[in-house]
Amino acid sequence: MRNFMKKFLDYLAGIGNALFFLFRVFGNILRGRIRIKELLKQIYEQGYQSVLIIMLTSLASGLVLALQGYVAMVRFGAKEYIAHLVALSLVRELGPVFTALIFSGKAGARITAELGTMNVNDQILATKTLGVDPVEFLVVPRMLACIIVVPILTILAEVVGIAGGYFIGVFEANIQSSFYIHQTIRAIHYVDFFSGFIKTFFFALLIGWVCCYKGYYTKGGSLGVGRYTTQAVANSYILIIIANVILTKIILTFWG
Amino acid sequence: MIEISHLCKKFDDQLVLDDINLKISEGELLVVLGGSGTGKSVLLKHMMGLLKPDEGSICIDSVDITKLSDKELIGIRKKIGYLFQEGALYDFMTVFENLAFPLTEHTRLRKPEIARRVKEILAIVDLEGIEEKFPEELSGGMKKRVALARSIILDSKLLLCDEPTSGLDPIRSRDISDLIKTVSLRMKCTTIVTSHDIRNSFRIADRVVLIRDGRIVASGTQKELERSSDTFVKEFIS
Ligand SMILES: Nc1ncnc2c1ncn2[C@@H]1O[C@H](COP(=O)(O)OP(=O)(O)OP(=O)(O)O)[C@@H](O)[C@H]1O
Ligand SMILES: [Mg+2]
Repeated sequence: MRNFMKKFLDYLAGIGNALFFLFRVFGNILRGRIRIKELLKQIYEQGYQSVLIIMLTSLASGLVLALQGYVAMVRFGAKEYIAHLVALSLVRELGPVFTALIFSGKAGARITAELGTMNVNDQILATKTLGVDPVEFLVVPRMLACIIVVPILTILAEVVGIAGGYFIGVFEANIQSSFYIHQTIRAIHYVDFFSGFIKTFFFALLIGWVCCYKGYYTKGGSLGVGRYTTQAVANSYILIIIANVILTKIILTFWG
Repeated sequence: MIEISHLCKKFDDQLVLDDINLKISEGELLVVLGGSGTGKSVLLKHMMGLLKPDEGSICIDSVDITKLSDKELIGIRKKIGYLFQEGALYDFMTVFENLAFPLTEHTRLRKPEIARRVKEILAIVDLEGIEEKFPEELSGGMKKRVALARSIILDSKLLLCDEPTSGLDPIRSRDISDLIKTVSLRMKCTTIVTSHDIRNSFRIADRVVLIRDGRIVASGTQKELERSSDTFVKEFIS
């Protein structure tokens, strides 16, 4: 029992620490302590690293959605609604969630591993000894880059996914090309787009937060880097999935 | 002038520093000798304000740095050079960028001046022409030299070196020790070196203190320590 209490308290302390870390990051951002050069470098690296696999995944989801949708819709004699199905699924739900999950596995893991290695090699401590705040120099650019890159990647993913659906719709279901495009545009209302798009910022924040925090506090040499990196990815997965349920409920309640 | 008084530090239940008292005068080169895990690195980290003591104070030029906030410490740290055990160079930057980093952060020097300063400092540590290399392309000894160069590039008045000779062969160990001595004399900076390398310590030190289990057990020049009757001291330095 005592042991359990201690674990629980440690856990709470961990959450407090993580929150404090987040405040420190935002404190820096709000005071304008943003290193543009570092930020651009991070945006480039994170984006470049995950863009291909995210596009591939969303292309595949678009194709599969349309194929399955075709089978289902034909039963109701409503194959012209494939466009709706593909566009709405991607924009409201799949685009943001898939992008976030893949991004955390690729860029997120990289963030934790990089910061973790730096910590293990005393580079973070060395930053302090050089009179520079390591959060400002190493964490802020990475976190901010996440918040910028994930939404952009999501939009790309949605466009590519819809293109995949279009491909099936036109060549497999023999829907007229212009009609398919028209249907897609009509299907997506502002609400649909933004109800999905807003989520991406939350996901990005969660990924950046968890992965930077885990990396910044990595202990235990190269083994530690491995362990903390897997933890970071697993934790961001779980958080994204839980946050998605909660956010979806909130957004649907207020927005329909 | 540095004055450490009654410094104590515990990690969980382990007492790592136990009432350390030490005065170091301007320009002195002091070596802190001690076995592995006796708290040498912890002591140095306190002098940089990287760790806060449980008790005691560290006054550098009559400012007690243990009482300063993180923000105030930044100003102090600029004047202190810290050489990490493994160098701790940024591995995503070239040697040039590593050395230029403190200058771009804390001075208004222009690019050509920075380049000149980097060249100068590389000459001091005897490593010309490696500006464009990354740390991983350097040997352990070279890394330490570059790290030493980085820690003094802001004209530090206090230089802290954590085990500069660990992991180096005897010749490299002697070279880096001598280099620290040279740099210390040339920059006229007070220097504190931790080590468990007895021969090189005596070679360069003005004074040596010996610590054991977080306590200072002996202090003095080589001759003074050799005359000591304490069995531990005798054993350690023989
Ligand atoms: N941040 C920390 N948290 C908990 N314990 C620590 C921490 N830093 C150091 N210690 C403990 O303090 C003791 C002294 O560590 P320190 O690194 O100062 O030894 P050292 O004299 O530098 O040894 P070495 O010659 O191996 O570098 C060790 O037992 C270590 O486990
Ligand atoms: Mg040490």
